[in-house]
Amino acid sequence: MLRVSQARKIFYPGTPDERKALDGADLSLATGEFCVVIGSNGAGKSSLLNAISGRMPLDEGRIEINGADLTDLPVFKRAARIASVFQDPMIGTAPTMTVAENMLLAELRGRRSSLSPGLNAERRDLFRERLSVIGLGLEDRLDTNVGLLSGGQRQSLSLVMAVSNQPDLLLLDEHTAALDPRTADLVMKATISAIDTHDLTALMVTHNMKHAVDYGDSLIMMDSGRVRLSMSGEEKAAATVETLIERFHETPDWLMLQEA
Amino acid sequence: MFDFLISFWNVVPVTFAQSLIISFVVMGIMIPFRILGFPDLTSEGAFPLGGCVAAVVLAAGFNPLLAMLMALICGFAAGCTTAWIHLRFRINTLLAGILVLTMLYSINLRIMGRTNIALFNFDSLFKWISPSMANIPTFKIVVVGVLVLLVFAAGWYFFLTERGVTVRAAGAGPQMAEAQGINVWTITVLGVGAGGALSALGGSIMVQSQGFADVNMGLGILINGLAALIIGESVVGRSSTLRQLAAPVVGSAIYYQLISLCLTLGLKPADLKLATGLFVLLMLGLPQLRSGGRYRTVPPQEKVKE
Ligand SMILES: Nc1ncnc2c1ncn2[C@@H]1O[C@H](COP(=O)(O)OP(=O)(O)O)[C@@H](O)[C@H]1O
Ligand SMILES: [Mg+2]
Repeated sequence: MLRVSQARKIFYPGTPDERKALDGADLSLATGEFCVVIGSNGAGKSSLLNAISGRMPLDEGRIEINGADLTDLPVFKRAARIASVFQDPMIGTAPTMTVAENMLLAELRGRRSSLSPGLNAERRDLFRERLSVIGLGLEDRLDTNVGLLSGGQRQSLSLVMAVSNQPDLLLLDEHTAALDPRTADLVMKATISAIDTHDLTALMVTHNMKHAVDYGDSLIMMDSGRVRLSMSGEEKAAATVETLIERFHETPDWLMLQEA
Repeated sequence: MFDFLISFWNVVPVTFAQSLIISFVVMGIMIPFRILGFPDLTSEGAFPLGGCVAAVVLAAGFNPLLAMLMALICGFAAGCTTAWIHLRFRINTLLAGILVLTMLYSINLRIMGRTNIALFNFDSLFKWISPSMANIPTFKIVVVGVLVLLVFAAGWYFFLTERGVTVRAAGAGPQMAEAQGINVWTITVLGVGAGGALSALGGSIMVQSQGFADVNMGLGILINGLAALIIGESVVGRSSTLRQLAAPVVGSAIYYQLISLCLTLGLKPADLKLATGLFVLLMLGLPQLRSGGRYRTVPPQEKVKE
């Protein structure tokens, strides 16, 4: 389904500031696979996701989804297949537009927009229904400008928008890290339930070892711009925080992984 | 003692007709500034461009509608150019606008072949509709008012369509819009183009109303338009698409009546630009003055080119 091969991206090459964001990263995901990504700060997790979504053009390497080569496609052309939620709740939604209008954007993702009115009663009902899943009361605030919502509400909206059209691939980059614990929990529950119900193929970056153990069909650990270790099937299912730490012991960065 | 009120009152219709014409320009400023988040100065060049193009077409004996259409197309091209320069070369939006409006000055001169053209003896939109009423201010108000209403209604409809919502998203958050599959680049080019088209349309109607075109017409129109926009927004607000679209028309009407009042009160025309400039400065600067922190920090560095 997803195949990343030999992805390489170097910032400021040949200068003292040289940064290897991706240094020959390889990854492949099967359809319906939910993969958790862990790794220390600066390991290249966000870079991997950004390379897949197109926000970070690669120097070298190839990105394919279902056999189609996406490597040279700009972000907006990949959006039909890929949806993302980022750590920063402020960047996933348009603050000066209403909740309903933001939902409409997600509804239109990957389709040709028409010249007929965007919001009608039918759509508003649909949006209300989708938003009610979260449990933060967003369904009653369809006409509120998103800029007036709390960070948690905005992030929940981003998530609902991302899973709206059942994307081929869902990218989550520490999407609950900036939220208060209660909201983070609600958003994580809604995430897992959306992935399960729609059998989404997903890549989720987390710093939370408990989440890494509890969720996902497979797990990868990144280090210095590469996928160092991966786990799947029975091994992943049986993993505990302790076995994870042990398994990743050989890499020097394991201490950076914080326990839940 | 109230003589000035009488002389003010006498020019209210003429001023109103003029303000309706300029409201196209104010809309042409509002769309890039407010909807696309692209501070665009093209209108300063697109307004005379529209006037020059229309004048040449009219002087060649063609239909006024054709003259306005040509002006519209040229203004659109000018706006698209500004946006493209910014996007392609990553040159600061304001500088891209100044580049285009500076180049347009030469182009406008080339188009007319001289610095001005008198149009009294040629057809105009107003004469074309009714030769006998062409010079009556109320008639001009009706004709231009209908055009303004058409543009307003089209905008109101459009910005609530699926396509219109994607356009607003491109301005509200370009990164997020791209992630939602919106082609921000194309929308920005076409949107700033639409702004230029409206400014040029305003210029083409203006020359038909005043009976001549001049390369220097509308010097400072951008700041006038901005002042009008700020006034309009403070009166009708900008919390909804409807209000945002109404602001240019309302603002233009108020602004030009105010100017007319100031003139009858004895303000010298030569001082107008200074007054308007100070007004815009005050309106833009006021929030900053109010939010007095403990001390002043240096604003983030601006770059000519990213
Ligand atoms: N836009 C950028 N400019 C310069 N360096 C970058 C940029 N994006 C990422 N990097 C560098 O690439 C490396 C990987 O970063 P990132 O993918 O954000 O790590 P992670 O998400 O795993 O913490 C870091 O060293 C970071 O400094
Ligand atoms: Mg990161």
